[in-house]
Amino acid sequence: MELTEAVSRIGARMKSRKVNVGHTERNASLVGGAALAVTGIKALTGRRYLPGLAMMVAGGMFLYRGKTGFCGLYQALGVDTSENAAGGVLIETFVTINRTPQQVYEFWRNLENLPSFMRHLESVEVTGENTSHWKARGPAGVTVEWDAEMVADYPGQLILWRSTGEAALPNEGTVEFREAPGDRGTELKVSIRYYPPGDGPGKAAAKMANAITGAQIEEDLKRLKQILETGETATAERTNNH
Amino acid sequence: MKAVVWHGKHNVQVDRVPDPQILNPRDAIIRVTLSGICGSDLHLYNGIVPTMKEGDILGHEFMGVVVELGSGVTNLSKGDRVVVPFPISCGDCWYCKQGLWSLCDNSNPNSFLLEKLYGDTGAGIFGYSHLYGGYAGGQAEYVRVPYADVGMHKVPEELSDEQVLFLTDIFPTGYQAAENCSIRDGDTVAVWGCGPVGLLAMKSAQHLGATNVIGIDRFPERLEMAKRHCDAEVINYEEQDVTEALHHMTGGRGPDACIDAVGTEAHGSGMEAAYDMVKQTLRLESDRPIALRQLIRACRKGGTVSIPGVYSGFVDKMPMGSVFAKGLTLRAGQTHVHRYLDPLMKLIVSGAIDTSFIITHRMALEDAPAGYRLFNEKKDGCIKIVLNPRLASGASA
Repeated sequence: MELTEAVSRIGARMKSRKVNVGHTERNASLVGGAALAVTGIKALTGRRYLPGLAMMVAGGMFLYRGKTGFCGLYQALGVDTSENAAGGVLIETFVTINRTPQQVYEFWRNLENLPSFMRHLESVEVTGENTSHWKARGPAGVTVEWDAEMVADYPGQLILWRSTGEAALPNEGTVEFREAPGDRGTELKVSIRYYPPGDGPGKAAAKMANAITGAQIEEDLKRLKQILETGETATAERTNNH
Repeated sequence: MKAVVWHGKHNVQVDRVPDPQILNPRDAIIRVTLSGICGSDLHLYNGIVPTMKEGDILGHEFMGVVVELGSGVTNLSKGDRVVVPFPISCGDCWYCKQGLWSLCDNSNPNSFLLEKLYGDTGAGIFGYSHLYGGYAGGQAEYVRVPYADVGMHKVPEELSDEQVLFLTDIFPTGYQAAENCSIRDGDTVAVWGCGPVGLLAMKSAQHLGATNVIGIDRFPERLEMAKRHCDAEVINYEEQDVTEALHHMTGGRGPDACIDAVGTEAHGSGMEAAYDMVKQTLRLESDRPIALRQLIRACRKGGTVSIPGVYSGFVDKMPMGSVFAKGLTLRAGQTHVHRYLDPLMKLIVSGAIDTSFIITHRMALEDAPAGYRLFNEKKDGCIKIVLNPRLASGASA
């Protein structure tokens, strides 16, 4: 697979602006927006200029939101109703690390390093040239295991993996390593998409899925940055007994 | 060990707590020989800074002797006498490499809290709330110092603890505040707040070439110190209108640079001060920017407003129109202490600047609760308290 193709594969749904409005709501926005705009035009012809204009603007906003799935107001409020749309849950995180893309890549490519900074990962065991076995521990001690394969591997640039077989929590992800401008190191972009199972009681995978959040991954990447830049993980503990 | 522990607003106690341990390769443990109570500690004491927890050990101005080193620290030895900058900085991230040590990317394990509040994180700070990492402070017998290879600085033998202690915070803070004023020959620098940082900012401004410095406060003993030690003209804001007095003292131009060495708990007089006091008390406003508003109004056109005083949240009624109309430059932030250690140590060694004059009280570590009370109430001419763990309780001088 070509590099560009690999990126567009996972990035198909995350163009410049993220989708943050769910399916049903998008359709409602399209219909409602169109109606509002038409009413607005009618009001204008009836010489009610101000209300007419207001309705047209609001109608246009709803149309845009329905068509693109992006809502500026939602973004400002931090609301995202798109999560459970078909295509699983997508988490994107970014961090800049003061090391070269090759250095960051090499640390990540040694998959057995991942549990040193990813809090929910208990172990990653390399089982073949492109295959590995992952074990994660979530809330209340639930564990989920799966096999994964490396789908694309461009040294110093990109890694793409996905779970294989009957994974309880199917997932895929890309890690992109880009040189930051002006000697600022590497811009690391991590995209993880997972497909949560139904929310049945006692389902370990569902519990695990709830524990994977953007904030959690961001903290993981901060630890990665600390390890690569300072050689250790920052702690404010006073003693080992905590 | 014994340590000064925060138990709540206006409640600090000296408690027995477990000794600190080496947790990371670049850690060191020092036995504290002297620590200061900083004006910014009073913001914690008064419950202004959020995320303090009962049991937190206070203190970010301290020095001592190395008693233990992690395997990754090779440039220091046990027995070395060191000063420790108050920001905890890794020395490896882009910010540290740029000399912006207090903006370190890596040292704050609670960076997500600051990111939520401010949009990004700064360095961890010893003993200064969980926003700043939740690190144990140095008003204690022992402290764990992370990134000790860049976070500790050896002290020449001939200098006493009192001569060098203030390199940990207030001397670099006053110096950076003055440096931020881009002082040129003929400049007048006005400093709001004649506490330790304000006094050392005046000294620094003179060292950097200011022709006149003006100190503003309401406590006669502080104004006296500004006159006597910093060769400053002074304004008592309870007796004079500050803006008018500055206008007169500068031929109607206003000071070329103004330094806010007061920060979030400013006092003032009249309706405006009452407004901010009420709002801050009711938590409708997190800071009281009375001094800052005055600085902005008083500063000459094209001048600089330099803010070493601590602000932690939102302020009301900022005269942005004045900032814009007069083309002012605003500079602020925590001090990049590490970058000033060498040059300022040289100034102390050469005798160009002596900072120990600000010490008014020497107390035993165990008497810290009384010290906090005294300092907060500005009683007994208190300007700066230093705590010595080796002094017996009650043996304060």
